[in-house]
Order: sequence, then structure tokens, then C-alpha cells
Amino acid sequence: MSDEIKITPVNRGKRPAFFDDPAIDQLMAIVMAMSAEMSVLYDRVDTIERLLDKKGTLSRDDIEAFRPDQGVEDERNGRRNDYISRLFRIIREERETLVAHDKMDEYNALMDELAKS
Amino acid sequence: MTMQTEHDFLITGSHDEANRQAYAATLRMHVLTDIGNGLKDVYDQRVAPAFEKSNGRAPKDGREAMKAMLDDTYGKTWSSMIHTCQEMLWDSVRPAVERAQPDFNEKVRGLNSKVGSVSLDPSVEVPRYVSASDIHLMPGNYHTERAEDDTSQGALFDRGLYLYQGGFAGPLCDNNGRSQAEVIKRRWPEFKPKKILDLGCTVGNNTLPYADVFPDAELHAIDVAAPCVRYGHARAEALGVPCHFHQMNAEATSFEDESFDLIVSCILFHETSRTGLEKILAESHRLLKPGGMMLHMEVPRTEGMDPYSAFRLDWDTYYNNEPFLSTWMRTDVGESCVKAGFDADNYIHIAAPDLGSVSDEEFTRYAKAEDSATGTHGHWGELVMWNMYGAWK
Ligand SMILES: C[S@@+](CC[C@H](N)C(=O)[O-])C[C@H]1O[C@@H](n2cnc3c(N)ncnc32)[C@H](O)[C@@H]1O
Repeated sequence: MSDEIKITPVNRGKRPAFFDDPAIDQLMAIVMAMSAEMSVLYDRVDTIERLLDKKGTLSRDDIEAFRPDQGVEDERNGRRNDYISRLFRIIREERETLVAHDKMDEYNALMDELAKS
Repeated sequence: MTMQTEHDFLITGSHDEANRQAYAATLRMHVLTDIGNGLKDVYDQRVAPAFEKSNGRAPKDGREAMKAMLDDTYGKTWSSMIHTCQEMLWDSVRPAVERAQPDFNEKVRGLNSKVGSVSLDPSVEVPRYVSASDIHLMPGNYHTERAEDDTSQGALFDRGLYLYQGGFAGPLCDNNGRSQAEVIKRRWPEFKPKKILDLGCTVGNNTLPYADVFPDAELHAIDVAAPCVRYGHARAEALGVPCHFHQMNAEATSFEDESFDLIVSCILFHETSRTGLEKILAESHRLLKPGGMMLHMEVPRTEGMDPYSAFRLDWDTYYNNEPFLSTWMRTDVGESCVKAGFDADNYIHIAAPDLGSVSDEEFTRYAKAEDSATGTHGHWGELVMWNMYGAWK
């Protein structure tokens, strides 16, 4: 056995396809991976801004060495959550339409009741 | 997200890798809760009514609910997303673990034990129910070794588990173990175990809280997976928590009869086969002193659960590589305990919420069984309710 380690990135077993065309599942995975890279890039910009705010200058090593404390992490996480909400708006909207529909049922029932009384 | 406690052996990776990990965890939580909770609306308002219309009755169990949900666009999208999130978690940790080698294994090998110990036994065979699939989609599962004295899977698990829990299990990922230990202490204050054994400890995150809750006890932990046992020991030493790790099979350990006062496990049973589980219970009986107790924490069983909740649990069985979860769901634990030699009158079943999800007073009421549990699934990010099954000897 060599001491170099390679963890095979795919786990055993067939990757399930949830959509009728597995290409849509693949596309979903690609979009999500891309969303991660954009977030990583944003965090890097955030690191640069924080370092510049503090020191007015920076080096690559400063960036690599920067680690958020809990406060910075919470800020970043809030931003990540907003970002994710914007990104997947279309899915949230589908759910919101359902809830609105439910309210409509309630409204109609109320109207029926009022009409009877 | 509560940050993970740093210790000498935690691998988080570079600036960008750490942020990629944090993003993967946040994204998964968003899909699990924000988008995931929408599944209930979709089920109630769209899927169940359509099922009823074409079948003349409501879905009768989790399986029917799942089939109907996976025919729905929202169900498909959610499934595809959550499955991808799980892959992204491991993928965000993997490169850092690879890069840390071979120095990392060397560092663990050179460790001087100060508070605990570790013993490896290469003759221990990994049971088929563990080796058969990459549980939770973790590449390489618990046991794969790629170099001499390899610890990579332990390191991958430690960071991956934290991300999976999204920080909800605390900075040491130990809320399960802590909750269970606190239930035992608060429910039976006169019970003072002197020797404790945790079965299937992986990297020991849920083992170590027993040292806090029962500081006078000697703590032991076993697992079949050597990389996890090695890493778990290094982690415990780095955290300064005394614990003795052993590579052993819980079905047949090498401890002497009546060695322990308390035997516990944490989410082990749903990853074992039926015969495996029965052997583990019989072994627990052999290892317990008279007057001792075993208590095994598990996800709730779907039996009697409404079809929607059962669907959410069943989903993991099929798509999160939990092949034995459904076996667990059909296991009568009380009956199995009797078969293993325990008295039916001594059977214990407790359901309590996670320590972190309710107030301390409320937790105590659950621990003392003054509040009855309303079952929910054991997914982080929702109200987590843990079930504990066991018996006094
Ligand atoms: C889901 S993990 C449990 C994780 C850990 N207890 C925790 O709370 O995070 C199951 C673990 O049990 C181990 N395992 C499964 N069957 C076993 C057996 N028969 N004997 C010892 N360990 C076993 C696996 O190797 C794996 O590490």
C-alpha cells in the first residue's frame, strides 16, 4: 500500500435518477455545484474586503490564512441563506402558490357560509 | 451555523475549501427544511388528493406515499437536490483529507496517549451489513483503508458529520450522546455506572459526553472500522477526554462476562441486519453485570406513523444508502431483548427530544417520562425526537 491517498469520489451503487430524463438530475447537480463556486468566490471577496478594511493592504498568504470567527461566519451564513433563497425562488414559489390556494379554499368556504346565513 | 470545535486532528482544509464546506452544509439545511417542509403542503394539497381520486382511498403507508410523491415535480426536484447536497458534503471535505496524507497518518501514529488508549485487532472482520454499501453516500464508508494505519475515513467522517448536522448537534457533534447520557442520569439518579461501553462508536463523538456526565466511570468504545477507531482515539486525546477505544465486533467482543454496568449505542441498530442485532443484544446481556442496563438510541420506527412521515424516513432507506433502516423499522425490540435473555418486565423504551431543542426543564420532564413523546423524524433541523430502547439485567 502506498501512503498517497485517493478517495474515490463516487460512492458505490447506482446514482438514482428522480426525473424521467437522468440528464435533468445531472443538470441539477451541475447548477448546485456552480452555486457553491459562486458562494466560495463571494467569501473570497469578503475576505479581501475585510483584510483591506483592517490593514489597507494584503498578500495572497493573508487571504489563505484568513479564518472567520463565529461573528463573521454568522454574517456569511446569513448572506448564503439569502443567496440560496434567491437562487431557488422558483421552487419556493411553487409551494407558496399551494398555500395561497389553500387560503382561497378557506375564503370560498367562508363566502359559502356567509351566503347561507 | 455553530462552528465546529477545532482540535489537533480536525481537517478543514484551505480558505476556499472551508467556505465550500460551509456552503454545502447551509445549502443542505435549506433544502432539508425550507424546501423540504414544502413537501408536506404538496402532499396534503396536491399528491394525496390526486391519489384519493384515482384510488378511492388515501395512501395507506410510507411506500405508497413515496411512490406518489416521487411522481410529483416538487418531490422529484427535492429528491434530486437533497441527494446532490449529500454528495456535495463529502466532496467538499475529500480533497483536504487526501492532501493531508501521508503526514496525517504519521501524526496519529506518533501520538502519545495521555488519558486513554487504543487497541487494534486486524482479525476483526467487517460484517457484510457494514461493508455492503457506502452508508450515507460517504465514499469509502467507515472501514476502507488505503494505507498502513490509515485514518482518512475517520477524518472524513468527523468533518462530514458536522456539516451533515449543520452545527445543530453542537460544536462537538455530540448532542445525541449527551442527550442519552442525561436521560439516564436524570431518570435514574441513583444509578451510578462504574464501567461504560459504547457500541459502534465510529469516531466517538457521541461516546465522549459520557465522560462528562459520569466522570467517575471508566469509558470504553468499540467499532469494527479501524480508521475510525484510530482517529477517534486521536480526537479524544486531543480533546483531553479519557476513553479506551477498541477495534471489536459488538456481536462477539473479547471482554469478559459481566464487565460493564452500562452499555449504550447511538444510531447503530438501523445499520445492522436482524441477526446482527440479535447477536449484539445477546452479547450485551453477557457483558452486563447484574443490575446493569443497556440502552440503544435510535431513529423512530415507522410503524403506526402517518404515511407522509413514513415517506420522509423511508426516503433515506432507499436513497441515502441505509439498506437496513427498513429492517429496523420492522423489528420488535422488546421481543428481541427477551430472546437475548432479558426479562420482559425489565424492558425500557424512552422517547426524548434532543437536549438542544427544548428547555432544560422540559428535557427533564421527558427524561422522567412525565411528558409523552410525539414522534417525529430524526432529521437535524427539525424537532428531533430520539428513541431509546433497552433493558435492565
Ligand atoms: C451510524 S454509525 C454510528 C455512529 C456513532 N455511534 C455516532 O453516534 O455518531 C454506525 C457505526 O457502527 C459500526 N458498526 C456496525 N456494526 C457493528 C458491529 N457489529 N460491531 C461494531 N461496530 C459496528 C460501523 O462501523 C459504524 O461506525
